[in-house]
Amino acid sequence: MDPKKILIAVDASENSARAVNYVADLLGGSGGFMITVLYIERPPNRDLFPDEASWVEAGQTQELRIRTFLKQARTTLTAGGLAPEAVAIDYVPHCQSPVNQGAAECSIGTSIARDILQYQQRGDFGTLVIGRRGVSRAEEFLFGSVTTKVTHLAKDCTVWVVQ
Amino acid sequence: MSNAYDIIARYDPEFPRKRAGNLLTDTTEFMNIQYGDVIELDGKHFLVLRDEKERSFGVEDPKYWVKRCRQLDTGERKILKLVFYEKFPVSLGSMQIECFRSPRKEARILDLVRGDGRFMQGYSRDDAVGNNVRVLDVVKGDLLSLAIDKLEADHRTYFFELLPDILEKFAEACRAIDFLHRHGENHGDIRRDHLWLEHGTGNYVWIDFDYTYEFQESPSGLDIFGLGNLLLYLAGKKFCTTFNIPRPEFDGLSNVHLEPADFSMLFKNRLSNLRKVYPYVPETLNNVLMHFSTASEVFYPSVGEMLEELLPCIDEIRRGRINA
Repeated sequence: MDPKKILIAVDASENSARAVNYVADLLGGSGGFMITVLYIERPPNRDLFPDEASWVEAGQTQELRIRTFLKQARTTLTAGGLAPEAVAIDYVPHCQSPVNQGAAECSIGTSIARDILQYQQRGDFGTLVIGRRGVSRAEEFLFGSVTTKVTHLAKDCTVWVVQ
Repeated sequence: MSNAYDIIARYDPEFPRKRAGNLLTDTTEFMNIQYGDVIELDGKHFLVLRDEKERSFGVEDPKYWVKRCRQLDTGERKILKLVFYEKFPVSLGSMQIECFRSPRKEARILDLVRGDGRFMQGYSRDDAVGNNVRVLDVVKGDLLSLAIDKLEADHRTYFFELLPDILEKFAEACRAIDFLHRHGENHGDIRRDHLWLEHGTGNYVWIDFDYTYEFQESPSGLDIFGLGNLLLYLAGKKFCTTFNIPRPEFDGLSNVHLEPADFSMLFKNRLSNLRKVYPYVPETLNNVLMHFSTASEVFYPSVGEMLEELLPCIDEIRRGRINA
């Protein structure tokens, strides 16, 4: 794994924004790094919506928010001094996405953490950066935490957890 | 036949004409559907008897979207759950989560568990305007928690004489939830009100699968926590709390030092460390209970892992009975 290949896993939360800012502050002006900002889609739960149309609409709203976040992340990193060609963004849709059906690469959605780690392994990323919400232990037990799972399961890479 | 009375009279000629209501094929306005109305669904007719009620703390809360009915052609009692999209906060001790009712989810699970006696049975059909109506068989029995509460035995007797068989059945109820998880589903609202003891079969039967949440990294965590709570109730024959432990009628040790770490992760007045008040609770069972306490450092990632630790406890309690 190449430690200078850095994967920032985001979900458009404030914690993700902090992770992006951290990398921009730390590495801005340095050369030799390749950075990818990654979002694995977690679409709105179809069961929460009375019909297909309202679900698709919620999915579209969410996608717009995420893509805006990804563009902003790229701006933050390049404004911080990283070369534009060294920064990539990627949006991996869910396989049952209401708005991105038929994507060649998609997430089956059983675990965002595992999807992030698969992407990291496949892309030879030696460094993985992820934000942390700071949830209570009870919340972590009941609902799980992508960050905690990533730190438990990561192999052959360094994980930076930004809180 | 175009009116409710004609349909009712065909099966029940004694039914008073003045009590007959409307014949409905559209269930959207469920608040207006009441006693005497007839719901027509997929060629079948259901006479509405009353709204279902949820009982908690001695208060009856009507569920206007759930109708107790009689299927006219068979005379069978049925429960019709009508579409009600509701979003509401649920308090889990100190934590609040957004919960939703999903007819779609419940209908899907009814299909998945058809013929499985560990779950309530039924099917769903769309009404004339596309509302998903779930037609449910009535579970004939009692809430398991009430049945346990009614058992006339002190805790020690209950624990050694009755609990092993109860835990065997509870383990089967846990396997039922594991079955849902392995099929990508969850129950969503595991609590005392949703597990019934069926008369005749003695089965423990899960009801009400319509609760759902936004997706999480651990979609089964909430169900597992619910099972832990139920187990705590069964092992204690009640919840042992800071309110009932000091009371004179409490049947365990009450002059013990209890710490915050002895209590439930979410319900801060609910004792998880039962061994402190009932010293004969085996360490192994207590260890399972302590997974749901404030002190816990690890949580069961699956029902299967919880069962792996729970099942040996049953035999241990049975062996303890011989020595007790």
